[in-house]
Amino acid sequence: MVVQLLFALCLGLLSSGFSVSTALAQPAPADSVPEPTPDPLEGFNQPVFQLNLKLDQYVLRPIATGYDAVMPDAVQRGVQRFLRNLGVVERFANNLFQGKFPRAGQEVGRFLVNTTLGGVGFVDVADPLFGWKESPEDFGQTLAVYGVDSGPYLVLPFYGPSTVRDTVGLVADSAMNPMNYFLSTIQLLAVRGGTTVVGAVNYRSLNPELFEDVDRYSVDLYGAVQDGYLQRRAKQIEE
Amino acid sequence: MTRLRLAFLSIVGISALALSAQAWAASGSPTELIRAGIDRARSVLDNPAYQGTDKRQQRLEKVKESVISIFDSQEIAKRTLGVYWKDRTEAEQKEFIEIFTALVEKTYASSLDRYRKDFQVVFDQERIEGNDAEVDSRIINPTQQKTFSLNYRLHQVNGKWLIYDVVIENVSLVRNYRNQFYRILGKKSYTDLVETIRTKIQQLDTAPQTGTGL
Repeated sequence: MVVQLLFALCLGLLSSGFSVSTALAQPAPADSVPEPTPDPLEGFNQPVFQLNLKLDQYVLRPIATGYDAVMPDAVQRGVQRFLRNLGVVERFANNLFQGKFPRAGQEVGRFLVNTTLGGVGFVDVADPLFGWKESPEDFGQTLAVYGVDSGPYLVLPFYGPSTVRDTVGLVADSAMNPMNYFLSTIQLLAVRGGTTVVGAVNYRSLNPELFEDVDRYSVDLYGAVQDGYLQRRAKQIEE
Repeated sequence: MTRLRLAFLSIVGISALALSAQAWAASGSPTELIRAGIDRARSVLDNPAYQGTDKRQQRLEKVKESVISIFDSQEIAKRTLGVYWKDRTEAEQKEFIEIFTALVEKTYASSLDRYRKDFQVVFDQERIEGNDAEVDSRIINPTQQKTFSLNYRLHQVNGKWLIYDVVIENVSLVRNYRNQFYRILGKKSYTDLVETIRTKIQQLDTAPQTGTGL
């Protein structure tokens, strides 16, 4: 129910006519870009951004540091691969929606091989054995390929930088998870919440310098993160 | 000698000169230029005489010396100010190039602290179109099994290739700084921006090994 409401809200925002272009593959000539990235939702984004920084500083990083101290790096990388393996449904579906059939097939192949031969996904054997690489596609990218404009920059609590389109995508991918259909709501929340938290802690412990780096490298942290996200997203969609 | 023959010989002579000048200018391809720069930097970083925290400042100075010549500092600084550049006086522009270069140096000094001898640099592609070039490379950290892409954008100035932008993991340095500066300039004055940059440089000086705010 919450999922449907969020979905409706995002569609509403999208169709209200924002149009922000995020596809800038070439460096724009020095004189032609007159303004910073349009940020109509900045009033909402800034506080959420600050909240996320605090969440990272006081919750995620301490937990990840403790986790990092007990988990060997190799195991952490294994956990990351295990969790990535579970994302096969959305990658398969979105590759299909975008017409990338060989890649969709490879995703299925990877899942089967890595789940069986790769210790339920802890080890990636499909790549060294068959050369099948992961093709990370999500519904946000699919929408972009179909010409849906990105809508304004949006910072999500906990998840971080996004755009209205990509948020719709996030919700849609969530809905595609088969677990939605055979687990009760409570079980679903527990399982989805659990994997998200483990994923976040694990990722954070593999990248301890994450926020220190962005903080160091920027004069305006919010602007740096915003631009960094949008540039990387544009590149992902291009591929 | 007939006039025609003289004319013909002149044309051949001049073309030969022009071609050899062209060849001379192009013999340092962008990739070779960058590779040489990286090699120079590495020879400093690997040199036992510059190891250790006490030698850090010296080390960084030496690395800067070895690579500064392949960067077009003026162009980089100019691009980060974008449309705001032409409104600045010559003195302000000069000042901005100085402080921006200092900012980038101090910011990236900490990346150099993470350098390890076993890092590998792989050059993937070079594309040249007239006076512009792009060189794609990757840095591989074998111990942590991490790779990141590092692409360079260059242009020719007086026959010499110079870097005017660096793209790290698909994020262009120039664009990223420009977004930050535009945001500040949109709400505050140019003097405020200069002030902000100077404060940041100071912060980086006093806490070189760690982040500054978090």
